[in-house]
Amino acid sequence: MGEYKLLLEHSHDPAYATLAGYQAKGGYAALKKALGMERQAIIDEVKASGLRGRGGAGFPTWIKWNGIPKDKKGKHYLICNADEGEPGTFKDKQLMETTPFLLIEGMTIAGFATQGDAGYIYIRGEFVDAAKALRKAIDEAYAAGLLGKNILGSGYDFDLYIHLGAGSYECGEESALMSSLMGERGMPRLKFPHVPLPTISGVWDRPTVINNVETYTCAPFIINNGGNWYASLGASTKNSRGTKIFSVSGHVNKPGNYEIEFGTSLMDLLEMAGGMKGGALKACVPGGSSVPIMNAQQCDGAIIGYEEMAEAGSMVGSGGCMFLNEHTCIVTFIWRTAQFYANESCGKCTPCREGTKWLLQIMERIRSGGGRSGDIELLQEVCSQIDGRSFCGLGDAAAWPVAGAIKVFRDEFEYFIEHGRSIVQSAESARMLPESPVVAVS
Amino acid sequence: MSELLQLGSVNQRPQPPKREELTLRFSDAAVKELDALRTHYPEEKACVLPGLWIAQREYGGFLDGEALAEVAYRLDRSYAEVEGVATFYSMYNTAHRPGRHKIEVCTCLSCHVNGAYRVWDYLKSKLGVGHGETTADGEFMLEEVECLDACDRAPVIQVGDQYYGPVDDAYMDRLLDELRASPVNTVVQMADSIVAVQVTGPEREAAHR
Ligand SMILES: Cc1cc2nc3c(=O)[nH]c(=O)nc-3n(C[C@H](O)[C@H](O)[C@H](O)COP(=O)(O)O)c2cc1C
Ligand code: SF4
Ligand code: FES
Repeated sequence: MGEYKLLLEHSHDPAYATLAGYQAKGGYAALKKALGMERQAIIDEVKASGLRGRGGAGFPTWIKWNGIPKDKKGKHYLICNADEGEPGTFKDKQLMETTPFLLIEGMTIAGFATQGDAGYIYIRGEFVDAAKALRKAIDEAYAAGLLGKNILGSGYDFDLYIHLGAGSYECGEESALMSSLMGERGMPRLKFPHVPLPTISGVWDRPTVINNVETYTCAPFIINNGGNWYASLGASTKNSRGTKIFSVSGHVNKPGNYEIEFGTSLMDLLEMAGGMKGGALKACVPGGSSVPIMNAQQCDGAIIGYEEMAEAGSMVGSGGCMFLNEHTCIVTFIWRTAQFYANESCGKCTPCREGTKWLLQIMERIRSGGGRSGDIELLQEVCSQIDGRSFCGLGDAAAWPVAGAIKVFRDEFEYFIEHGRSIVQSAESARMLPESPVVAVS
Repeated sequence: MSELLQLGSVNQRPQPPKREELTLRFSDAAVKELDALRTHYPEEKACVLPGLWIAQREYGGFLDGEALAEVAYRLDRSYAEVEGVATFYSMYNTAHRPGRHKIEVCTCLSCHVNGAYRVWDYLKSKLGVGHGETTADGEFMLEEVECLDACDRAPVIQVGDQYYGPVDDAYMDRLLDELRASPVNTVVQMADSIVAVQVTGPEREAAHR
């Protein structure tokens, strides 16, 4: 199967980022329709669509929207998670830069369905171009009565604000994002069942819906064409519906964002991205740095779907898909992954704060030729102490890639430890190596 | 009487800096922007991050103690709290003066496998500085950073609010020359852009009138 462009259909048309251009392509028909529907009917369409969160966890979107109290007693908030920080992922950036009105319309529909008073788009600080495109679009929408008081004469009021982050991967975790939005260090908060769900008590202790950029962006299509139509996309998979944008990078000829229907094969995705560059396929990290790495045999025949990718040994994740060629040293790649998590751990809980540093220390020892026998078991032990014992998902996400790589590429780890050097020796592989020892990254 | 009781039994949070201790440097426009931002949130505390961005612009790209104290004073938070927040986030320059241009080199996964460490080596030797250091002439600060989420252009670097990639040595030579010749301080310009996108067009206009 080839590309299926739904969200990205007009992403190459600069006019689509203007209100006139957006409306010329049918924009805001969905909001008009939604404002004439019962709130519950909107949520039911989203339920029928089978839409699952595109930020990484794949949680059914309608359950969040439905969880917001129907008897409104105070303010309700919406948050858009645009803190895209998962290594390998760059889809939200493109969506915001090229289709800002889709996000605004989607959030307004979600806001109406959940009686939201205000929405906040939390954008990672580096994405200034994306924020500028959204700023322009939001200002235009206000001027046209599509945001603010009495939207399209419906009596519904909704304000939409932009809030920028300042450099922290952890702020993509939803409760840490709320801390950050409220003006604190980006550390996660206690979660259900210890405290109520965010839909009951989220940001500023008010009912809150939080979704990823891509998730909200699907809403206009679901309202326009119906949930059943949306659910017909990806119907060949167990429980993944609609389209998904994959950010393909690494050793491919045409890196970029590719939107596919669920049920497409991973190898088809590779072909869309122009196939391998510089050597044969060796490994793939299909859903962002947090998901387990796959070898070429696992990739062959893997079908893209939440359950299907799990069967193939990995995850859909955020859709940050990195293909690696035969010159890649997996040990070095995993060392760099460990460095990322050690740098980004927020330091709140011991298993992750200490564990990610230990993983990096052991990986650094192996990578620099000083690996000891027993290091593989030590890595596994540390991983199992982090996984499931950390305060938030970052700890798990730090452990999975290391544990996963040992499972699939154990021979490379063993070789490196025994010989003090990588099993991969070529000019191309040398180009990837960090020559000097680790430099601390802020 | 126990010492705690003498101090007052309630656990009082540290107080914000007092006005007379400060030299306030926010411009009129900055004050108005901060006022506009206050209307965006149900609690003033939410303005700490945007307030720090304003300060990073107003103080020439570096958040020293005075800058943090001014943010604390204007938002009625303690100095310790604002400092704690500012130092958590990597884009606030609290540790080193960044120079006129902060060159952020991504060496994360996709960039790593596309030769980012060679770009990093080249820049270190060409500029004669390492991670977190600024050249003696105050032009460039070098920083090794995590994924900038533009991996389709790996290896990627960011200077101010602009992304560049894929880059190589020749590309970097050209870019450094251009940056040197440009009159702009991209660190300050980026902070300004980040403030500008958070206030509405009309709010921005009113502030800079
Ligand atoms: C460490 C960590 C980082 C995350 N980063 C992001 C992110 O950058 N963007 C995102 O949408 N979700 C991210 N998530 C997932 C969010 O916590 C949350 O599941 C998501 O925003 C929910 O939206 P969705 O249901 O639409 O996917 C992250 C989670 C963790 C544990
Ligand atoms: S797992 Fe713990 S230390 Fe790691 S980011 Fe989450 S809260 Fe912070
Ligand atoms: S790895 Fe460098 S931009 Fe993503």
